[in-house]
Parts: sequence; structure tokens; C-alpha cells
Amino acid sequence: MANTQTMTAEMPMIEPTKFLSGAQAIMQCLVENNVKTIFGYPGGAIMPTYDALYDYQDRIKHILVRHEQGAGHAAQGYARMTGRAGVAIVTSGPGATNLMTPIADALLDSTPLVCLVGQVKANLLGTDAFQECDIIGMSMPVTKWNYQITDADEIPEIMAKAFYIAESGRPGPVLLDITRTAQADFMTKPFVYKPCEEIVSYRPRYIPKQSQIEEAAKLINAAQKPYIFAGHGILIAKAEEELNEFARKTDIPVATTLLGMSALPHNHPNYIGWLGMHGNYGANVLTNEADLIIAIGMRFDDRVTGDLAQFITQAKVVHIDIDPAEINKNIKADAPVVGDAKEALKALLPLVKERKHTKWIAEFKKYDEIEFEKVSKRDLFHDGDKIKMGEAVAMLSKKTKGEAVTVTDVGQHQMIVNRYYEYMKPNSLVTSGGAGTMGFALPAAFGAKVGAPDREVIALIGDGGFQMTIQELGTIAQSGLPVKIIILNNNFLGMVRQWQQLFFEKRYSFVELQNPDFIAISKGFGIDAHKVSDRAELSTELDKMLAATTPYLLEIVCEKEENVFPMVPAGGGVASIRLE
Amino acid sequence: MTTFTLSIFTTNTIGLLNRITIIFTRRRLNIESLTVCETERKGVSRFTIVMRHEDRDTVEKLVRQIRKVVDVLAVFGYLDHEIVFNEIALFKLATPLGGTALNIKEINLDWNAKVVHWGLDYVVIEKNGTEVEIAEFYQYMKNWEILEYLKSGRVAVGKTEKGLVEYLPESDWETV
Repeated sequence: MANTQTMTAEMPMIEPTKFLSGAQAIMQCLVENNVKTIFGYPGGAIMPTYDALYDYQDRIKHILVRHEQGAGHAAQGYARMTGRAGVAIVTSGPGATNLMTPIADALLDSTPLVCLVGQVKANLLGTDAFQECDIIGMSMPVTKWNYQITDADEIPEIMAKAFYIAESGRPGPVLLDITRTAQADFMTKPFVYKPCEEIVSYRPRYIPKQSQIEEAAKLINAAQKPYIFAGHGILIAKAEEELNEFARKTDIPVATTLLGMSALPHNHPNYIGWLGMHGNYGANVLTNEADLIIAIGMRFDDRVTGDLAQFITQAKVVHIDIDPAEINKNIKADAPVVGDAKEALKALLPLVKERKHTKWIAEFKKYDEIEFEKVSKRDLFHDGDKIKMGEAVAMLSKKTKGEAVTVTDVGQHQMIVNRYYEYMKPNSLVTSGGAGTMGFALPAAFGAKVGAPDREVIALIGDGGFQMTIQELGTIAQSGLPVKIIILNNNFLGMVRQWQQLFFEKRYSFVELQNPDFIAISKGFGIDAHKVSDRAELSTELDKMLAATTPYLLEIVCEKEENVFPMVPAGGGVASIRLE
Repeated sequence: MTTFTLSIFTTNTIGLLNRITIIFTRRRLNIESLTVCETERKGVSRFTIVMRHEDRDTVEKLVRQIRKVVDVLAVFGYLDHEIVFNEIALFKLATPLGGTALNIKEINLDWNAKVVHWGLDYVVIEKNGTEVEIAEFYQYMKNWEILEYLKSGRVAVGKTEKGLVEYLPESDWETV
């Protein structure tokens, strides 16, 4: 008895040790990962995490979007600018399903995303609970990796893994489905964060095998008409300088893919244009004259190859890609090189001979002249009253010296931006290439501006796509960030209309839009907006937009039934390219 | 049509079966049989998938896509002559009073099968063998009334000197 009393008197009250809650652990993981900004939308199943976020506002900036799709695309824009994973945070059920489009988009365009998705309590899983949705099952085909967290103790390790998988190798989207239980419960051990450095079942190869490099160098040194296809991999690996050196030393002409745009400045002596359905005339046609294709960080998408049976059948192929599944997927590689674009180019540089391909490059220039006469001249120097998209973009390009970040939506305007914006700085185009997601540009431009506040970010959007995520004007207004928005308005779903005109006997099936007053809408959201339809005023209006230090919208009323050329008809060989 | 046997080693993760089968579904490829089991390495599962296809190239592309899955450790593809393989089939036969008697000797010695359970008026016979052997045995079994028949997917080991687990990425694997 006495003994017990002594103990009570001497021992201080011991509180049971309280560790971090799952939600706090999530926040702490973000901090440890140096995540400064996240894009999200709260809701029931993610509330514990939002509650923890309240205490972390000084370290993590949360941007409240207006729709979960906006969070995903904004995170994509952010990731494309920073090279780091963009973080989107949403609730379960509809919150999560709304994120599916950006996730699918990010997978196709190799964009790192970490999506934190709330889920119902663990004991309710599989019961059709309120806002329950099998998001693991749904997101499986469109994520690089996904995982359901049911235990708070798992959080540090899984979060570290998520960022590692999203950002390493060929980047892609990762989804974490976090039950409300795992967020609300306390961890049973101290929080320790260890960045993930290796996963036994996932070991992307960065440094290529020397034997593969030597094989590739042999083909490159022997080629008479070599031709480089530079893809998104160049930008992801930050290999622009290596590509520049490589192109100069070997004097090989370089075309980019849509996503590879701005890998070389457009005034580079070896840059000859871009590939693909609406790419440049010479860049496309001369693929069939080359004796060697050096494909770097690109995947021979059908929009580049057209009919595969007719594509570069005469040429040998060196294919450099970090994703081994891309090798021999669409085009057989004579010399495959698995590795990071930067490392591969660095390894190749000392092995390739200094060459001159003056005549071969001059062939491209000949086609440029034809393209200028038949297409560009009509777009840029016409005497009509109506503004053409091409001239608006070309003027913007001049005024910004080709140094802005352009963020495009999908359709005619997207192709026109790529045709007429003369990129001078690397990583300057954010666009939805693989998925072709309309509605991408407005939120992605916002995310890009958050990621690169010092660069001029200009969204160029068609009137159709603009109305798909128009609500994100609210996000932009609330942030006050000077995102510049140009609507190229032709009152049509232009690309579909073009196809209907060319391939469906001009049967215009549901492509004409009765548009709202974009200026009133924008002003309603609190964003300064102007409209221009007179060619004579275009220059002044663009100047006003560029001078603005707040968000700014400029609606450019364009010629209604313009078509984008050149065009390789879908399924045709690149030789069937049309100029009119 | 060529038969291909894929041996897929993965970390033991919930949902991984789904991640692998959707790769087949998306390419409209049919799975003939599928067997999943634990391996001699702790935490490593092994999928044995049999498929038929006329084009080796398509199967190779499929294999590369499966390898790309983050939790997949290794994938090996085999033709039939490169592996030793077997399936197990169970036949439940009716043995009513006055019916044709079973020839146990024939079943044991000629067919290399055995009766594994004697019921009151039925028996269960187990037959191990290749798909072809089991199909032949099925025809023989039709001499009696087959109440129920089913068989497992294929299991296969490669005709290589080393076990496949030796080819897994290096790590501190624990043996089961």
C-alpha cells in the first residue's frame, strides 16, 4: 500500500504519446517533398486532410479551383513548367471521377502528378457508401501507379513512393486513394520521412548501355540523309543544350513533335519544323527520303506517322527512349537505346563525327517555300477584313519575341499556334497532345503561371474548349495572377467542322455554337476583358493585353470557316499531305 | 496459332491481377488460363498465363507492357518446347448400381490417373497432364456419365539450369 502511494506521488502524469494524425502526416510529407503549391477542392471524405491543411497554410499554398478537373489540369501545367510532380487533392466519388480526364491526359503526355483522393471510411469500403467509388479500379488503366491507404502508418512510405514513381523514369500520374480512417487515425509510431530512392520492381534506366550507344553512333556516322525527331523526352530530360550541340556537330536536320516543340529555338540552323498531321510540309514529306531516323524521346504516335505501312520504310531507325515499352511498339528500331535523352545524347556526342549536311537541309527549305506560298501567305498576308488565327498568333509571337509560354487547348487554334508561334525558349508550349483534351488550356495556363511566375504565360483557346472549363476564370481571378487569355473565336467547333467539310461532304453536324458574351462573363468573374474583330485594332489590343499586370482576357473574333493546312488525312501516308 | 506461356513475377499487391489483365483486355487478347501462386521468395507472387496468338510480335509488345507495370518484377515468355508444364483435372463420375464398372487398372496404368475420392454412387478421378493429355482422357471418361469436370490453369517451369527466381532484380530476398 505504502509503496503504491509513494509511486503515485513521485511519478508525473504520463500522457499517452500522441503521434501525428494521418492527415498531418500527409501535410508533413508534402513539406518534406518541398511541395509549395497544391491544387484542390474539398469535400466529405478528404475533410480531415483539409483540416490539417488549415495549420499548414504558411508552408503549403492551396489553390481552390472551381471543379476537380481544373485541379488536375492546373497541376499538369505546374508540373510541365517545374518538372516536379503537380499535386491535386480532391474528395471521393465525384471529386475523384472528375479527376480522371487530367489523369488520363497526364499519362499520355508523360506528366508527373500526385493525386491525393479522399475515400470513405475503411469499414464502409465496398458497401456503396455515400460518395464511395472504386477509384482504384477506375484509375488503374490511366495511372502509372495507384494505391489505397487504409492505415495512417503507411502514409510516409507510400507518399515517398508516390512522388518517386511520378517523377522518375518516364513521368506519369500516381493516384493515392486515402480512406477517411487513414486520415483521421493517429499514427502508432513517430513520423519519419525517408525519400524513396529505389523500388525493386521498378528501376528505370537512365544511363544507356554503351553497346547500344556504339551501335547507334555507327548508324549515325554512316548515314547520308539522317533526320532527328525530337520529342517531349528532350524537354522532360532537360536535354535541349545536348540536342543543340549534337545537331550542330553532326549537322543533322531536327524536327520536333507537337510535345517536343521548343526543344530547339526556331531560328536554330538545324531546326526544320514539326512533324505530324498539321506539321510542316517538308518536315513530313522528307521523312520518306531520309536514310536514318534518330528518334529521341518520342513514341511514333499515329498523328506523326500516318499510315505506318508507308512511314519511313526506307530508313534505318535509332530510337532513344527511357521507356523500353516504346521500343519496337510502332516502328521497328535498328538501334534501340534505352535511357534518358540527356544521358544518351551526352554519351553519343564524343562518338559521332562532325559532318556537313548542307544539301540535305536545303531540301527542307525548298518545301518551306512551297508551304509559304500555298499556306502561310494566305494566313498571314491577306486583304480580307476578318482576322485570321494565323496572323493573330504570328503577331503575338513577334510582340513576345517568341519567349512566352503558350498554353493551348485542342483543335484548329492549337495547330495554328504551333505553326505560327516562333519558339525561342525551351519548354514554352503546354498543350494536351496525346489525349487531345478540350478544356485543358485555361486551368493548365493557370497552373503554368503558378509554376513559372516570372514567365509570360498566355493561354490560347478556342471558343468551344473555353466553355468546357470556363469556371476556372474564378480561380484565376481569386489568385490575381496575370494569366493572359486569348480566345480565338470562330463560332465553330472548328476542327470538327474542317473534317466535316473535307471528309463528310460539308455536312456540318452540330458544330456551330451560339456563344455567350465572353466579355461580360469574364468581367462578371472580375477579369478585365476586351474584344477585337477589326484587323486594324489587333496590334493595339495585343499590346494592351501584354502590358496588363492582372489577369486579362482578349477575345479575337476570327474568320469563321478557315481550314488548317498542311494536313495529312487521317489514316493516309504522310506523302498524301494536303496544302489546300 | 502458337501457344505462349508467360511467367510473371510480381510483388504481392492487392489489385495487381486487375492491372495485368486490363493490359490483355485493352488489346483484345484472350487469356486461355491463369494461375497465381506464392513463390519460394517471400512476398513474390507468380502468375502463369497461357495465351494463343498467331503473331509473336504482338505477344512481345504485350510482355513489354506488362513489364512496365510498377509492381511487376520480371516477365518471361515461353513456347511449349521450352517448358515443362502440367494441369490438373478433376472428373466426378456417376457410378450407379448396375452401371459400367470402372477399370481402375486401366485408369491407373494406361492413363496415369487416380481415384481420389469414393462417394456412395460417384467417384472423383484426378488426372495430371498437358492440355492434350487431359482432353484425350476426357474422351475416355465419356464412357461413364460425367457429373462434373473442371481443370486448373497451366503451371510451367522453364527448361533452364537456374530457377527463374534467380533472375529477379537483385534485392535481399527472403526464402519462404
